[in-house]
Amino acid sequence: MIALLRAELLKLRSTRTALGMGIAAALVTVLPAILLIAFLPKGTIGGDEARTILTAGSSLVTYIVLVFGILGMTGEYRHGTITYTYLATPRRGRVMVVKLVVYALVGCLAMLLALLLANLIGVIGLPIRGVSFPAPDGAALADYARQIVTAGLITAFGVALGALFRAQVVTVAGTLIWALMVEPLIVAFKPHIGAWLPFNVFSQVISLPIGADGDAAGGLSRPEAFLVSIGYIAAVSVLAVFISMRRDVT
Amino acid sequence: MAVIDAEHLSKRFGKKVLAVDDVSFSVEPGTITGFLGPNGAGKTTTLRMIVDLVRPSGGAVRVLGSRYRDLTRPTTRVGALLDASGFHPGRSGANALRVVAAGAGISYDRVDAALEMVELGGAARRAVKGYSTGMKQRLALAAALLGDPEVLILDEPANGLDPEGIRWLRIFLKARAAEGRTVLVSSHVLAEVEQTVDDILIISKGKLLAQGPISELTRTAQPVVRVRSPQAEKLEELLTARGAAVNRLGDALAVRGPASAEVGEVAQSGGVVLHELLTEQPSLEDLFLQIAGTRKEA
Repeated sequence: MIALLRAELLKLRSTRTALGMGIAAALVTVLPAILLIAFLPKGTIGGDEARTILTAGSSLVTYIVLVFGILGMTGEYRHGTITYTYLATPRRGRVMVVKLVVYALVGCLAMLLALLLANLIGVIGLPIRGVSFPAPDGAALADYARQIVTAGLITAFGVALGALFRAQVVTVAGTLIWALMVEPLIVAFKPHIGAWLPFNVFSQVISLPIGADGDAAGGLSRPEAFLVSIGYIAAVSVLAVFISMRRDVT
Repeated sequence: MAVIDAEHLSKRFGKKVLAVDDVSFSVEPGTITGFLGPNGAGKTTTLRMIVDLVRPSGGAVRVLGSRYRDLTRPTTRVGALLDASGFHPGRSGANALRVVAAGAGISYDRVDAALEMVELGGAARRAVKGYSTGMKQRLALAAALLGDPEVLILDEPANGLDPEGIRWLRIFLKARAAEGRTVLVSSHVLAEVEQTVDDILIISKGKLLAQGPISELTRTAQPVVRVRSPQAEKLEELLTARGAAVNRLGDALAVRGPASAEVGEVAQSGGVVLHELLTEQPSLEDLFLQIAGTRKEA
């Protein structure tokens, strides 16, 4: 397992995919924050409100790490490196477990850096517009922690989806269409069903997204959402491993 | 004990394609065994079944006495070259091998040694996407050698190599066998491995047609009569009518069946002029054609 872990970390370090993901995450965090500071009329909002807006860009980071997770697994099939991965570790379940762990940690790290960057811009930029940037309180830190954990979960989910479907373009496109178009439509028209769909479940780990009163709309509590998220990842991963053990690498 | 032991190995893809059909063979230690057959014969599928990348539909294969997946740190026991394109194009050659080494629990020191062994030390820092086909083939060979394994399984290792590279590969394989290692090497270019292998396995259309030491198989094979004639087409007709197996290329014929004296008599009785008539011990290619032809007739 240690050898596999080393290999996964080296895979991340030795291509530009992880770097590209980091740059993309930084851009979607930095650009909205800079625009906000540039166009914010002096004294119109308070510090807490400004922080909420500044860190809003981090929601896009979840989609970036989702795609990153998918690429991490489908890339193995696309470039044929899966042959060497399975030659070294014929027990395919182990490969899956290590990938899930490593990519979840990278997803957490990406979100942590995005939030740090957003806060840094707030500390430096907001005083220029006459808004003081308060130190994060307990509620803000708890919200950050939930965002970081969710980013890890979503990245791992991307890995599991990639292992299940293997085809890179189809998996990325299909997942984004599902997450950005299909699920929101189901949530809008059938909220009781929508509350249980995967990407909505992930977002409920961070906040209660269905209306102002999540429970009244059939939403999940945060602990429930967290457990269901783990359930989704486990179910897709187990299915992917089960299928991969029967799949031929040709 | 055989190093590789396949028993009644079969692989079916879907309902229609039977890629490997009840193949049994063994590879003895310290030998170079050629796994020969035309494209699509089932060589790659068989090799991939040995290392657990393809699951057999029937039968079983053991390598070093175990299933591949049950070997501890398998790439330090069995090195496999199966896919020269199995490297991320953005990684350098050295990093591509480091990834393989890390996953297999092999020290990074072996990376430089393996690259030097395949004469790629100078290109170690270049991205794989800039490698020629021959360089990628050498890199894949280096990956197979990383764990200093006692068994090498090489699928068409000469693909993409220039004549110098093929000669280098031949010397390289002989050196590995001289060290006591076992090599199973597949090829569809029979002449390419003829000077290298000790034993051969011949496969065609998923069925194993012959196996054994190359010297024994060629000795028992029928000799080939080479004929050159300006009336080669007419002579071909005459010989074929007498049941001989004839391959013609321009004015040259390769005749299997009748002895050279009989070929000469047929030519003389048909008024065919001969420019050359000689008997040759069959090449590996002749042997393959004979065996494949015999099976077809059967």
